[in-house]
Amino acid sequence: MTRYAMAIDQRRCIGCHSCSVACRTWNELPIDIIYNPVLGGVAEGTWPNVHRNYLPTLCMHCKNPECVPCCPTGASQQDEDGVVWVDYKKCMGCKVCVNACPYGMRDTSHAVRRFDEFVRKCTFCKERREMEPGADPYCVQTCHQHARVFGDIDDPDSAISKLIGRSDTFRLLEELGTDPQIYYIPDLGGTR
Amino acid sequence: MDMKKYQEENAEIQYKHRYWGWQIALYLFLGGFGGGVLFLTWITATFVFPQADLTQAFMLPNFIALLAIAFGLFCLVEELGQPPVFYRAYVTATSIIKWGAVLLTIASFGDLFWLLGNWSPDTPVLGFLCVFNFLGGASGLWLAAAGLSGFGIMVYTGVMLSTLKAHSFWSTPALPILFTVSALSTACAGIMLLMGGWPGVAADMHAAHEVHNLLHTCDIILVFAEITILLIMVLSFLGAGNRTQQRVAKRWVKGKTAPIFWIGMIGIGLVIPLICNISGLEGLATVASILVLCGGCLLRFLCVWSDDRQPLEGENRYYWRHKHANTDFVGQYVKSGKEMQRGQTFEYIDNLY
Repeated sequence: MTRYAMAIDQRRCIGCHSCSVACRTWNELPIDIIYNPVLGGVAEGTWPNVHRNYLPTLCMHCKNPECVPCCPTGASQQDEDGVVWVDYKKCMGCKVCVNACPYGMRDTSHAVRRFDEFVRKCTFCKERREMEPGADPYCVQTCHQHARVFGDIDDPDSAISKLIGRSDTFRLLEELGTDPQIYYIPDLGGTR
Repeated sequence: MDMKKYQEENAEIQYKHRYWGWQIALYLFLGGFGGGVLFLTWITATFVFPQADLTQAFMLPNFIALLAIAFGLFCLVEELGQPPVFYRAYVTATSIIKWGAVLLTIASFGDLFWLLGNWSPDTPVLGFLCVFNFLGGASGLWLAAAGLSGFGIMVYTGVMLSTLKAHSFWSTPALPILFTVSALSTACAGIMLLMGGWPGVAADMHAAHEVHNLLHTCDIILVFAEITILLIMVLSFLGAGNRTQQRVAKRWVKGKTAPIFWIGMIGIGLVIPLICNISGLEGLATVASILVLCGGCLLRFLCVWSDDRQPLEGENRYYWRHKHANTDFVGQYVKSGKEMQRGQTFEYIDNLY
């Protein structure tokens, strides 16, 4: 069965925020909403062995999402392929899911009309993939450093499976038991 | 960027975490208080003093409880992003919020029918509502429904927060217990303050006096229990909690909210009422009840505003820069953007500069 996931190679990310801009542009997001902030960027190490480490983030599309069962209207859903998304026609903007997400990857916009505030989040560009099957999310397509790799993690021949299989990876807040589906390949600095 | 200032602020504050406003805190307080009053009314009238006619004595506390629940629900709906579609909360069966909505609805209607069923024609101005006295035939049923769902509401207000394990300070079994004890203690205080005060109708004040004495004793025990649970919870977080719990507990015990916690909640909200109640003086009991209500409200506000989440690496720095570098821009955009259609973003930014 198809199971979408993303691998993010921190060794390749240069912190250009192109992914954030692409996401915001294609999804026409309000100014106070960002689906994929690029965190980090603080210098690490001791001179002369210093480097900057960036942490591009987005919804983790967890296997055991906290945000889905808490939704009182059934707007917050998870597809069989693992994509967690919000049905805007069902959402009433109670923000329980926003509070339930341990990663802070959901929010409502205050830059829209009152009574029109629904919860927004990354969907791995679900709408785009419905129109263009096999297409990557916009953040993946835009990344000129190829730091983001998207695909079916259940397919052993997919690029993401191969990349994760041959790399040391970590996931964010794994200890919470949410089983996040964003895999990070760490940048250990220098030539290591 | 002033990194020193960033580090100082960053020690206590998480920049992207406050999603719920004052409405939710007030709703949790009013819901707990209202539910507690309904529960205590049912227990007292049905099991503790079944032989006494306490109906008129409990009219005003139950009327105020109904108003409290109604106003709490109004706050809850007002806080929604899309208030007109609040009815969607009744749709799913798995969500704790859905059960809360059902309990609040049952409690409200149970209490309303009980009030109307026992409405006296001697009530000033609103005496005509006695036309609904036919509901009084099932008075016990309405009160039981309201009382049982009131108990559910008291527990639910704490459980709702404690299920959100993204927020370490909420995600603890102590919180529902604390909220339930606090709801009961505020309900005791509210009933003692309001009992027998229904205008134009004489209540059985002898029985009411006995109930008052019982609730007075209960309130002393409940306030003492609340102090104990609260201090154990906060101090154990400070000593043995994870980083997020320690950060919040430190803020409560010796940080920015320490004066509100020690002087407001512990001192004025719990210890002084406890002393007033133990003293046994009539005038001080009234003061104690008012202070207990204020302390309960303060507790909900402090808890809801302690919604710190374990930050991702570099998250605070990222949103700190947003806050300080983009505040003016985002503020102007948000202020003007409410009238803006999607797709006009770039045109708006061009006009801004």
